[in-house]
Amino acid sequence: MSSLAIVFRKEIREILRDRRTLIAIGLAVLATPTVLFVISQVSTRTATQTYTVGYSGDIPAGLDVLFGATGLRLERVDDPAAAAKRQVDIGLVFTPAGIDEYYDPSRQSAQIADIRVQTILAKYDAAKIAASLQQKGVDPSVLNPLPVSVHPLSSPVKAAGNSFLSFFLPYILITMSLTGGLSAALDTSAGERERRTLESLLLTPAPRGQVLIGKLLAVSLLSLVAAIAAIGSMLIALSQISFGLSGGEDARVSLTPLAAAVMVWLAVLLAASFSSLTIALGTLARNFRQGQAYATPLYFITIFPASIVLFIPDFNPSLAYYLIPILNAVLVLRDAIMHNGVAWGPLIVTSASLLLTGGLCFYAALRLFTREALLVRS
Amino acid sequence: MTEVAVKVDRLEKDLGSNKVLRGISFEAHSGEIFGLLGPNGAGKTTTLRVICTLLSPDAGSVGVLGFDTQVAPQEVRRRVGVVTAEFGVYPRLSARENIAYFAELSGVLDGEVSRKVDAVIDRLDMGSFAKQRAETLSSGQKQKVAIARAIVHDPPVLMFDEPTSNLDVLASREIRQFMVESKGRGKCVIFSTHVLHDAERLCDRVTIIHQGRVVASGSTAEVRGGFQDLEDSFLSLVEAAK
Repeated sequence: MSSLAIVFRKEIREILRDRRTLIAIGLAVLATPTVLFVISQVSTRTATQTYTVGYSGDIPAGLDVLFGATGLRLERVDDPAAAAKRQVDIGLVFTPAGIDEYYDPSRQSAQIADIRVQTILAKYDAAKIAASLQQKGVDPSVLNPLPVSVHPLSSPVKAAGNSFLSFFLPYILITMSLTGGLSAALDTSAGERERRTLESLLLTPAPRGQVLIGKLLAVSLLSLVAAIAAIGSMLIALSQISFGLSGGEDARVSLTPLAAAVMVWLAVLLAASFSSLTIALGTLARNFRQGQAYATPLYFITIFPASIVLFIPDFNPSLAYYLIPILNAVLVLRDAIMHNGVAWGPLIVTSASLLLTGGLCFYAALRLFTREALLVRS
Repeated sequence: MTEVAVKVDRLEKDLGSNKVLRGISFEAHSGEIFGLLGPNGAGKTTTLRVICTLLSPDAGSVGVLGFDTQVAPQEVRRRVGVVTAEFGVYPRLSARENIAYFAELSGVLDGEVSRKVDAVIDRLDMGSFAKQRAETLSSGQKQKVAIARAIVHDPPVLMFDEPTSNLDVLASREIRQFMVESKGRGKCVIFSTHVLHDAERLCDRVTIIHQGRVVASGSTAEVRGGFQDLEDSFLSLVEAAK
């Protein structure tokens, strides 16, 4: 058996016996469905929740029925403006001249109630005007000289689902590729120095390059498994959880086979790159704790690119942007999810960029691993 | 005269701005316990690290059974086993797995690993804890694991760097017995220590180094000279070197 295989097998055996690492990955895998379940519950409850409208004055005939059908409960109050601050979600004063509305924009319930009230009043106004025109013998369609027929080219519900996935999937892919193997990477590099086993390991005739590759493969495998497990649990949860009915369509989210293939490929590249980087940082560190301190900035560095999809959803970069590691993976995965297609140019540039990054990190780790200073400092 | 197993010739080594070794020379033979003595900071550990190829010499040369450490480091590593005071082990592996890992990395053939590991476990009387995880072992048991992994590939040269400094009396005695036994098997045993009492009892020949230089070399009796014991001789030599 080659030294590489011997080291790989030993590292995997140690990882499988490390409760700390396994529990962390297990929690991450369980956390995603839990968070999604909570989001779906909140989303469903928001959609079906009844809000209270405090009012004074006389309600126009028929309007109260509309309020009741739209999840707005009417409650007569003395002072709607005062009541809208805390007692009710929105305050309305009906006068012969019209309606005065009072709501607190800092309260989410008031915002939702306001939207519902505005929608009802717009429909009520339109219905009254149409009825008046018909009484006078005028076709109500004169109010709408340019009627618009909307023909979505894809399901709006599915597009919303893809939009959701295009943010969460890259985010989970990147954070789990980094954190899934981080503990093992530091344990196999900085931990080796801290435990005083490094010297004995380097005393064996095993080529140091092979020793390092064995460690790298074990950590990469763990990162890959962690990322795919977290994403798998998220997709399973999404297939089981409905975010409420929208336009008669059940809002369930799923990943196409093409996007799944792209995601696995990116996960392999990211796992290898992050493993090389974290092992290099761990080799630089004298102990596990120092390794964690070195690795902490990586969390921030990786979260920024993942967030760009959230803040700039329609970001359409030139090919040069795909040279930037992590950001390129986010963009390629976003495109695969949103458009269900792969742009080969960006994917090739992204793959080359991540392979080069991983290669440079591995070279740095190997240089550090073979330096005399590594032993003298330990 | 027995075979020269380790030959150190005018060895020099700097660590940073510190000139640690300043032209050290000595020879250690198969079938003897060779003492490398000196106070803390004399350069003993650095010398051993150069011999086992962890560090490379700045000047001079080191040969192990005819292999130059610079030219054929892997051949040297195959022939050397090192035991230090810092007996780090892999805590999540059992004692047996720790030993087997190093056996495999040291080039023991796949079919031979199990037999050799069992043999070394028997030799060091480790059967009672061989299957226990290393994290649960006592210091003495961990030191036995460290010795076992250093000798499992049956190297002809064994180096002990302050091996008893973290051990109790009983465990220390076992280490000393093991060194004597290894000498009896024809191994070249290099024993680095500042505990001169141990060195006087065990070593056939000694070299005393101080501030990176050899200040005395020869059989233990020769180095002791007219003094009552090796410690008096050592103090006299170190004082004279100042």
